[in-house]
Amino acid sequence: MAALKRAVLLLLLSLYTAFAAGPFVWAAMLSLRTTTEIHRNHFAPPNPAHWDKFAEAWFTSNYGVYFTNSTQVVVSAVLLLTLVGSMAAHCLARYRFRFNRVIYFVLFSTIIFPPQITIISLFQILVQYGLYNSKLGLTLVYVAIQLPLTIYILESFFARIPSDLFDAARIDGYSDWEIFWRVSLPIALPAVATTVILNFILLWNEFLYAVVLITEEANRTLPLGIQRFIGDTQEDVGMIATGLMIAIIPVVVVYAFFSERLIQGMTAGAVK
Amino acid sequence: MPVGHDQSLHQDGLRKPWATIGVFLLPSLTIYAAFTAYPAMRTIWNSFHRVLPRSDEPVGLANYAELLRDDIFWRSVRNTITWACTSPLIEVSVALLLALALYARVPGARFFRVAWFTPVLMSYVVVGILWLWIYNFDWGPVNVALRAVGLASWAKPWLGDPKTALPALIFVTSWMWVGFNMVVLLAALHSLPREVLEAAELDNCGWGGKLVFVILPLIRATLLNLIVLSFIGKMKIFDLVWITTKGNPLWATETVSTYVYKRAFEWTTFDLGYPSTIAALWFVIVLAAVLALTWLFRLRQKLEY
Repeated sequence: MAALKRAVLLLLLSLYTAFAAGPFVWAAMLSLRTTTEIHRNHFAPPNPAHWDKFAEAWFTSNYGVYFTNSTQVVVSAVLLLTLVGSMAAHCLARYRFRFNRVIYFVLFSTIIFPPQITIISLFQILVQYGLYNSKLGLTLVYVAIQLPLTIYILESFFARIPSDLFDAARIDGYSDWEIFWRVSLPIALPAVATTVILNFILLWNEFLYAVVLITEEANRTLPLGIQRFIGDTQEDVGMIATGLMIAIIPVVVVYAFFSERLIQGMTAGAVK
Repeated sequence: MPVGHDQSLHQDGLRKPWATIGVFLLPSLTIYAAFTAYPAMRTIWNSFHRVLPRSDEPVGLANYAELLRDDIFWRSVRNTITWACTSPLIEVSVALLLALALYARVPGARFFRVAWFTPVLMSYVVVGILWLWIYNFDWGPVNVALRAVGLASWAKPWLGDPKTALPALIFVTSWMWVGFNMVVLLAALHSLPREVLEAAELDNCGWGGKLVFVILPLIRATLLNLIVLSFIGKMKIFDLVWITTKGNPLWATETVSTYVYKRAFEWTTFDLGYPSTIAALWFVIVLAAVLALTWLFRLRQKLEY
């Protein structure tokens, strides 16, 4: 009886797994088939697998450009975020001063802002400063939107480092900057890694700010490229699927290596 | 004892290294001021103006007055609030069932956990296109399955019918976020004090009783947090709608975010003032709703303890 119950439970869980992951498996199959093959049967496995479709998407459908743009913007935004965010988090966790909690609250509370409150003016501001339609402008905006979450995660970690360590470092003659760079940051490496991975995924997938702030083909990031591509070729299901996989693969690779860390980061805000 | 000397020592020990603090905080505060605080204030300023590419003209409360009479806006508010109120309940309850199943030590729990979490890692752009296909009238798996089991008359263009379009999209967001909620709830379940559960078992408490009287009260804080989080997420929703329906058919899936975008960048009115008004009002509504929800949950917690 107990074995039967367990079997039913396992069956249900497997069904749910198929439901949760099935769409991606399907997209992966579609990405290796041509649209003609797909229209004959939408659910057949790729036989033979057309790997060359990835080269075609990359070179002739401009996905190479989108991919490079996404990489440039996201990598530089994540680097900046990590440096700027950990400096602020270290300071807020380590130094006692007036308005410490006020600054923390002001920075953190933007997490619930709906993006519309800034996006129209950001458009005006970036146009004024010649940053509209540029990767630099988008990068800076990305730093701004992920800053609250980054500071929140890092601050709670920095605050748990025992202060004896800092007193010892100070007695050894470390300067304030050295204490941050050579004591705080190395110890907080796990939390830093969590924010790096989390910010990478969230910004890699970002669409709203990109669609408002970028219009030029040469500066499009992957989500924008995909959107333009479906606009142009509604019916070419096979190639669209290949494009989707190009966008998904980096995320899957990161997830394969860091699944626990990523889950930790994503859920960090929810558990508190 | 030389008091003055003592005092100066004391002050020296407490002297704040303001310069250091400034260096550490300056980059963050600059970015915050330039790309969050200033734009937010400018949006509010915009909302009292007609903002054309070359000129601003103060209009007082005219934008707000127009907004109150704007039927499409109220339609989008209704859609968004429907979304923000249904999704959290669906997501959290399904996630709780799945988390309980994994908590009961089924084999392969780790694998299930990692697999179920995947949808939330994909961008709404990818998810939107996938579900456009899944709901496709001719060859989408949903309609294919319905026809296969002899329910051909139920097959329909799910995103093209004003009656089903919004529920179909709500379903997509639930599909996406259940795994996330499940992982958080599972972590909460695993951190429950073992003695309490064992005590309940000793008292001959069945699974149902244990769930309602022991587990749920203990993880209530997590449940409520997840509900608020999901609520905030749905109040902002834009990408999924923009990729799949753009608010169609007949404004059935228009959300506040898509409407702001349309009024600012798609409609050829060129006025950024009116969409800023929508954004400003919506900002106040979201803030008030979040504050009200947290206050409500806190209050109940206090009442029961």
